[in-house]
Amino acid sequence: MDLKNHIPSGPIDQKWDKHRADLKLVNPANKRKFSVIVVGTGLAGSSAAATLAELGYNVQAFTYHDSARRAHSIAAQGGINAAKNYQNDGDSVWRLFYDTVKGGDFRAREANVHRLAEVSVNIIDQCVAQGVPFAREYGGYLSNRSFGGAQVSRTFYARGQTGQQLLLGAYQALMRQVGLGKVKLHNKQEMMDLIVVDGRARGIVTRNMVTGKVESHMADAVILATGGYGNVFYLSTNAMACNVTATYRAHKRGAFFANPCYTQIHPTCIPQSGDYQSKLTLMSESLRNDGRIWVPKNKGDKRAPDQIPESERDYYLERKYPSFGNLSPRDIASRAAKEACDDGRGVGPGGLGVYLDFSDAIKRLGEKVIADRYGNLFEMYERITGENPYHVPMRIYPAVHYTMGGLWVDYNLMSNVPGLFVLGEANFSDHGANRLGASALMQGLADGYFVIPYTIGGYFAQGGFSPVSQDSPVVQATVREAEEKIQKLLSINGKRSPTSFHRELGKIMWDKCGMARNEKGLTEALKRIPELREEFWQDVVIPGSGAELNQSLELGLRVADFLEFAELMCYDALHRNESCGGHFREEYQTEDGEAKRNDEEFAYVGAWEYTGVGSKPTLHKEQLEFENVQLATRSYK
Amino acid sequence: MKAFGEIWESNLFQKWLMAITGLLLVGFLIGHLSGNLLVFMGPDAINEYAHGLRTMLHGTAIWIVRFGLLASFALHVTSAIKLARRNRAARPSSYNTVEHRASTLASRSMLYSGLLLLTYAIYHLAHFTWGAVHSEFYVKACPPSPECTDCIPDVYAMIVSSFQQPVISVAYVLAMIMVGLHLNHAIASASQTLGLRNRRIVPIVRTVGPLLGILVALGFSSVPLAILAGIVK
Amino acid sequence: MNLRLHIWRQSGPQDTGMLKTYDVANVSEHMSFLEMLDVLNEDLIAKGELPVAFDHDCREGICGTCGMVINGRPHGPLARTTACQLHMRTFKDGDEIYIEPWRARAFPVVRDLVVDRGSFDRIIQKGGFVSVNTGNAQDGNTLPIPKLDADRAMDAAACIGCGACVAACPNASAMLFTAAKIGHLGSVPQGQAERSTRAMNMVLQMDAEGFGACTNHYECEAACPKGISADFIAQMNKDFVSSAFGGRD
Repeated sequence: MDLKNHIPSGPIDQKWDKHRADLKLVNPANKRKFSVIVVGTGLAGSSAAATLAELGYNVQAFTYHDSARRAHSIAAQGGINAAKNYQNDGDSVWRLFYDTVKGGDFRAREANVHRLAEVSVNIIDQCVAQGVPFAREYGGYLSNRSFGGAQVSRTFYARGQTGQQLLLGAYQALMRQVGLGKVKLHNKQEMMDLIVVDGRARGIVTRNMVTGKVESHMADAVILATGGYGNVFYLSTNAMACNVTATYRAHKRGAFFANPCYTQIHPTCIPQSGDYQSKLTLMSESLRNDGRIWVPKNKGDKRAPDQIPESERDYYLERKYPSFGNLSPRDIASRAAKEACDDGRGVGPGGLGVYLDFSDAIKRLGEKVIADRYGNLFEMYERITGENPYHVPMRIYPAVHYTMGGLWVDYNLMSNVPGLFVLGEANFSDHGANRLGASALMQGLADGYFVIPYTIGGYFAQGGFSPVSQDSPVVQATVREAEEKIQKLLSINGKRSPTSFHRELGKIMWDKCGMARNEKGLTEALKRIPELREEFWQDVVIPGSGAELNQSLELGLRVADFLEFAELMCYDALHRNESCGGHFREEYQTEDGEAKRNDEEFAYVGAWEYTGVGSKPTLHKEQLEFENVQLATRSYK
Repeated sequence: MKAFGEIWESNLFQKWLMAITGLLLVGFLIGHLSGNLLVFMGPDAINEYAHGLRTMLHGTAIWIVRFGLLASFALHVTSAIKLARRNRAARPSSYNTVEHRASTLASRSMLYSGLLLLTYAIYHLAHFTWGAVHSEFYVKACPPSPECTDCIPDVYAMIVSSFQQPVISVAYVLAMIMVGLHLNHAIASASQTLGLRNRRIVPIVRTVGPLLGILVALGFSSVPLAILAGIVK
Repeated sequence: MNLRLHIWRQSGPQDTGMLKTYDVANVSEHMSFLEMLDVLNEDLIAKGELPVAFDHDCREGICGTCGMVINGRPHGPLARTTACQLHMRTFKDGDEIYIEPWRARAFPVVRDLVVDRGSFDRIIQKGGFVSVNTGNAQDGNTLPIPKLDADRAMDAAACIGCGACVAACPNASAMLFTAAKIGHLGSVPQGQAERSTRAMNMVLQMDAEGFGACTNHYECEAACPKGISADFIAQMNKDFVSSAFGGRD
């Protein structure tokens, strides 16, 4: 199958304008005749549902939460980028575009990224108009900061709760449409499957998590905005409920999954304290501005940090990367921490941690300045670990944080299944192999507010939508399949809880397909995952019934999909014989341990087609063209 | 646009009514207290004051005040009962354990202190205004005769003879403690309900509310206590 | 440490529910409160019993999903801390802990500790927004907002919609939640056009949902994991009354 990305012709800075001019429009009076299903109510889903309803489309939105306000977009702390150049420091759409393509290690689509940079400015305006309380200067104008190593200050923020405030803005816009009767919102409904009729996405099957009822919902187009798959690692900074089910079930119905091996590891998370650990907590990267990262020079040094003299400490980032030091990019800092711990020099429980030490900064600037800058983060750290970081160095360890891969989409954000659109973290399109800080919020809102409202009209204008009845055989069959899967899971009645399988899968993935991968490990994982899956379907136990609120069942269904999806990830990681961004293959590194990209052979999007459980998926390639940004090696030496 | 009936019935409007009527009642209490304290200046002062009240505006003033008071009282009480019932309904089942972090005895007992005060108010009117209870102490300034049209009670004598009975005095003092408790929360609560709450006002209200409660309670109690102690005879 | 838990078990909205006692052993002080419940649930599953249903998601104190009354306090003993951020080092060996759901008519129990907070969404639907369609916006810097106003708006907007205020209020009132949204949008110029209707409609919806009235105890403020000030309630009262008499709704 030939993947058509539908990128418009013309110069990069005119593509989006040209495309919008070329897209056919739907008559305002006809819009209400088109129905759209939006799955997920995070930044991308809420903003899309609200905006499409404003335009007059007939919208149904679905969330597995009890309220649309709870999606994990809410947890983003740092901020949102926009090429406003309010600081007069030389920022521009071009520069944001360039930084994002380069930051993505040249594995993103230029045209998509440029559009993202263009609409970034509109996002800020829209959010301000919604009343989002962005930080302000005393003069009343918007405040910016530099974030994630950017050379310009283009990050807008609302204290440490930017994601929350942006999500609440989108949620409120959605609630307004729900109140007006323009959006029908279904809370506590989890998507179980995609309904494809005559090759087009025409609906979804959901399970009502309160009553257990499995039912179908029909529409003319389906939008998935269901987030990333970081929880395949069991421990990640994702919320507990984040899962791959919606996108993976769509994949099983024919949608290609692109670049699943691109996963981002965040270097400054609070380390695991024990086996009971359920999730990891991220602390803002800004801590690295003043904290110094070190481990003991000697293996197995169990002394308290203040007992280790300066001469026996290894400030490894400063040593290896003298010019960037503690501010080296996320992937580099993460890998260096892993190396130190693999070397037996890790600190804290299980030796999985490195020190982030503020004692020099406190000596230099005083405790008050540090408290002003990081007070709330220090508080959070102390609440979780019980240690006071003003006196004892923090312990940090990398954790899975974001997944760049996702369902393959064209320039219109439509997957290869016509009528199935994918937004936000759930798609693959804008971040390449590595996402820059403060870009996730930007992409989610760009897709929802400013891209899908245009491109979905183009799809509807093509016409040819005959009504599909819920009683039609294909719909009934899809519903039945979902019901049978649930029944099967409930009837196993084995001995192990879904969590125990999830934890075991996570360990395999973290060890073999985590921060650093190699052929041997991946091959082992590809052997071990099907075994674990087999065991799951023999030995899992789900107490209770399907006709009630059953959190074990919800988890069981999600873990079942992770157990299939994990294999896909390993296949992708194994085939990509290069190191780029969030994908580091140990075989492909320079002599001093830097990632070695292979642009000759791998400057493409790897889009995988489902071929059956346990069977190797088929790879389709979309070649990436770099006409505007010169391919170059990232260097942070 | 919402109909006024709907707004009137809303919790917030009912609370606003309580705050407004409550403050009017506090204003009345302060006036009442200043009148009572005339006891310490001897029989003429307070009797003249009582007579003055009854004859002001040819006797209409007292009725205007009485109507205002009655209306305020009625609104205050009906709103209180209405809201209390709704509040009960909003929390149909209670917790096994509850730990209070911010509320006070005064705030939690507003309904009870209020209901006790309602009972007290009726008793007090029956005592001093209608002469229905303790009528043995109900004394008029002139000897009773059918011709006397502007006969007024000898307030001073009534007060002194009544409060020389320890039981009556204790009852009144207890009621005044209840008034103090009620006001302790009432002032701050009303200012919040009326929207008078910001960083400048809060500390003032937090001091003035309880202080006023204490002063009113002490002021009213000082009369029976002084009489019991024999300072006022 | 070993603990004795008394947990509210209720199979559905129609069930009356009761406290059941469970012992959990070997609880690490580094566990979060919810991780301690995870351990209990894994035990229950192993024994073939139904695990305790409780709401949770981000486990970093921002999504507002988790919520349970722990020993009579919403979210437990620590101030400004959600249940998911409460760690077991706050407790000691041998403690008995009572765990109950939010109790309010407007928050019916779905199962065990899970309640339905849909009433909050319906309050927001009545006006907790600025009516601005996508694309209407002017440049973000066209309208300067004094820093103090922006900060005040943020103070109110920090609400996570967890419902602890309702759980703590002796009257199960939603005043702090509603006031936080009215206070947020009332503090920025973008929210002024609808200020009057917003206060009117949201307040009336709060009544319609069956929340109680405020008796100014400030238990809500003490229970709020985001420390939202009850000052916003005063502002809401003012906005509501001026709307009632102003007739601009």
